[in-house]
Amino acid sequence: MRVLLIEDSKRLQTSVGRGLRKAGYAVDVTGDGREGLWLGESNSYDAIVLDLMLPGLDGLSVLRGLRAKHNPAHVLILTARDAVEDRVRGLQTGADDYLVKPFAFDELLARVQALCRRSYQRKNPVIEIGGLHINTAARTATRAGQLLDLAPREFALLEYLGLRRGEVVPRADIEAHLYPDATDLMSNVVDSAVCTLRKKIAPTTIQTRRGAGYILE
Amino acid sequence: MNSIQRQLTFRLVALSCLLWSAGSLAVYFAVRAGLVAEFDRTLTAKAQSLAALTSQKDGEVEFDFNPTVQHSVLRDAFRLWFPDGTTYDYTPGTEKIDLPKRVGTFDFRVPSGATGRAVGIRFTPVEDEESKKHARVEATVVVAGSRRELDRRLRLLATTLLLVGAGLAALTGIVVPRIVRQGLQPLAGLAQRAATIDAASLQLRFSTDALPAELQPIAGKLNELLARLETSFTRERQFSADVAHELRTPIAELRALAEVALKWPDDAPATKRALEDALAVALQMESIATALLNLARCESGQLPVRREPVALAPLVKDVCRNLPINVSVPSDATWDADPALLRVILANLVSNAVDYGQSARLCVEAGQISVSNTTDNLTADDLPHLFERFWRKDPARSSSTHTGLGLALCKAYADALGLDLRVELAHGILRFELGPAAASLRAR
Repeated sequence: MRVLLIEDSKRLQTSVGRGLRKAGYAVDVTGDGREGLWLGESNSYDAIVLDLMLPGLDGLSVLRGLRAKHNPAHVLILTARDAVEDRVRGLQTGADDYLVKPFAFDELLARVQALCRRSYQRKNPVIEIGGLHINTAARTATRAGQLLDLAPREFALLEYLGLRRGEVVPRADIEAHLYPDATDLMSNVVDSAVCTLRKKIAPTTIQTRRGAGYILE
Repeated sequence: MNSIQRQLTFRLVALSCLLWSAGSLAVYFAVRAGLVAEFDRTLTAKAQSLAALTSQKDGEVEFDFNPTVQHSVLRDAFRLWFPDGTTYDYTPGTEKIDLPKRVGTFDFRVPSGATGRAVGIRFTPVEDEESKKHARVEATVVVAGSRRELDRRLRLLATTLLLVGAGLAALTGIVVPRIVRQGLQPLAGLAQRAATIDAASLQLRFSTDALPAELQPIAGKLNELLARLETSFTRERQFSADVAHELRTPIAELRALAEVALKWPDDAPATKRALEDALAVALQMESIATALLNLARCESGQLPVRREPVALAPLVKDVCRNLPINVSVPSDATWDADPALLRVILANLVSNAVDYGQSARLCVEAGQISVSNTTDNLTADDLPHLFERFWRKDPARSSSTHTGLGLALCKAYADALGLDLRVELAHGILRFELGPAAASLRAR
């Protein structure tokens, strides 16, 4: 899952960015509205966390710019403005959620998770595939009550494939959503990650469709 | 309760009743005097005609009066005293009237109770040639008429006046309150409109055009007051929102730092960074709280202000230490001020000049301290906002070193010191000038 954090407070950038990364998200961070809009338009994010008071371009304008180009990313507004009219204006401009500062990090994480699930039309936080339970809220995977030992990145890959189960997921999508740093076209980071994950979730299989991508069934 | 409407009504009704009564009395007495004079003239004429009937012939007085011929004309009683003392009495009715021998007009009353009025004249009967040789003799005639008709007319007049007076008084009592109420309608309207104003409807204004001239200044003043109230309410509301925002952001930072660090405590370097950040946030919040507290103290007049000679050169040197600012201070410049407050003012001005502009410059001359810097993102419209609490040109409050309270604090401190802090913008140079507002400065 790939998240964009547009927030002008350096300390929130550091702490929230670190928290989201620790939770297994690929996170891009910017403190400038214009740069945020540019990033949001050029990458495909599952969720965008957006502050309203931003230098360069204010949050609502960023949101308007994204929605004007039919950007499907789910947007959570994170702001100190708590007046009802501010919330209403934010949601009516096209935001999917609104969280007022100060906030609990766990709540922010839960809301971001919910937004990411919604990106794949899933409302149930638990995905079940042939005896394998993927809990997207607790960020754990279990088989017959047994917890599988997965690194956050591995879980994120499993979650992503699980959210798009039964569907051939192109490698480029996986790279864009989970490994944005892997810019090298010849990189085999996805292949090796899938390979590791396969061993850990056996007997559930991830099939490779040559030239198309991967499918979890 | 004291009410203009009630007082006006009472006074107007009382005054019109008084005026009407006085007028009625004047009319009554004038008409009565006229009627009585007319009555007296008639009686006098009758007496004179009776006198004309009296004549002297060869020293004898004769009275040529025939009641059967003249009584239809003469309905009044009379008594004639001849020079020899004998009398001639005539009464039209049956009652005998004992008229007194009196000259002039007078009222009298007969035993039956009826009143009358009489005229007595003394005259010399018409003399022939023979009589003129004798001594002059005099006779007296008194003619009396009943006052019944006269009194009836006077009573009618009095009754008419009384009735009309009562009617007019009643009419006044009905009409005056209405007129007064109608006249005071604009006042009542103003009061009614004013009663609807509360903190939520301060944008309301009175339309002065439709008001009478007397109320226009009141409505105008009220409008001014409302405008000022609205401005300060808006400012207060903005300030509350700003305080909320300014405090929420660092609290959010603290909370996120702590929560993330607690959630993944194993990463020691990250936890250390988080703690360092938390400390910085705490210091920033402290400076906001201190500034707010000082502002509040200053505004409520609780700030202790000392007065002592302050040498400007060392103070400025200390404030500008290690900062990229061009300083020019005469070594002997001394101000009479509170050194702590003056230091805060200078430190804030210098820090703004250094952080928000280029070519910062501090200059002391002609009894003024001026701090200037070049700026390219401020306009003349921004100047009035510069001293507002939490005002920033860019609403994104990215700076953590400036609380947004510095200039507000400078202004408040300058006021407390009796100094004037002005700002001007010319040719891209923003210039703050601190100088004496009153005679509090002694530049030596």
